[in-house]
Amino acid sequence: MMQTLTATPIVHPPLQGPITSGSVRQQHVLTFPAGLPGFEQCRSFVLMATNDSDTPLHYLTALDGPEASFIVIDPRQVQQGYRCELTETDARRLGVGASGDTSLVWFAMVTFEAGGTVTVNLRAPVVINPALMIGHQVIPHQGSYPVRHVLVQGE
Amino acid sequence: MLVFTRRRGEVIMIGDGIEVQVLRVGRDGVRLGIVAPASVPVHRQEVYAQIRSANQAAANPVADLSALSRHLLRQP
Repeated sequence: MMQTLTATPIVHPPLQGPITSGSVRQQHVLTFPAGLPGFEQCRSFVLMATNDSDTPLHYLTALDGPEASFIVIDPRQVQQGYRCELTETDARRLGVGASGDTSLVWFAMVTFEAGGTVTVNLRAPVVINPALMIGHQVIPHQGSYPVRHVLVQGE
Repeated sequence: MLVFTRRRGEVIMIGDGIEVQVLRVGRDGVRLGIVAPASVPVHRQEVYAQIRSANQAAANPVADLSALSRHLLRQP
């Protein structure tokens, strides 16, 4: 079963401000059953707004495991017509039903490299099923998008 | 490490429901077929390692987000 990226990202309103014990409620918590590659022990995340309300950037921050916070962006903000297909395994991980009509939210990780270069990982997007608050980083077997898509060229 | 000799078409079984079959043996490579439950992710090791490295590089950035936001908003 293949699901293509069509939905507009609408996820639970991202948290504002720093994480405190009182600010995170259960309905904000995203579960990543497999963690993320390199951060396999991180299973619970929150999506947070950055200070700038106009920005397309968000924080994806782990609540458990080693310290892990990522800047993420909708890949379509970076690459027009971005498409990524989910395999049956990916769809099952995300709890996507056989009908395939679940709206999913897609993010790509932003990396701030030395020298001011900023890259976006379009190869392996983070996909969230907002209905179940489950997340999963998809690693397509045949990837046509780069791991380091250059957004800003540094010196 | 367990080491097996397998001929073309022969299979190794791992646990319940994982099968690795030798499909073709060439001079430079071996073509394998993998059958695994949907709950078991299967990746080329170097691809997984590349994504792991990318995630590690992306984690906990020290960055000027407002500059990047301005850059993004300037774009059509």
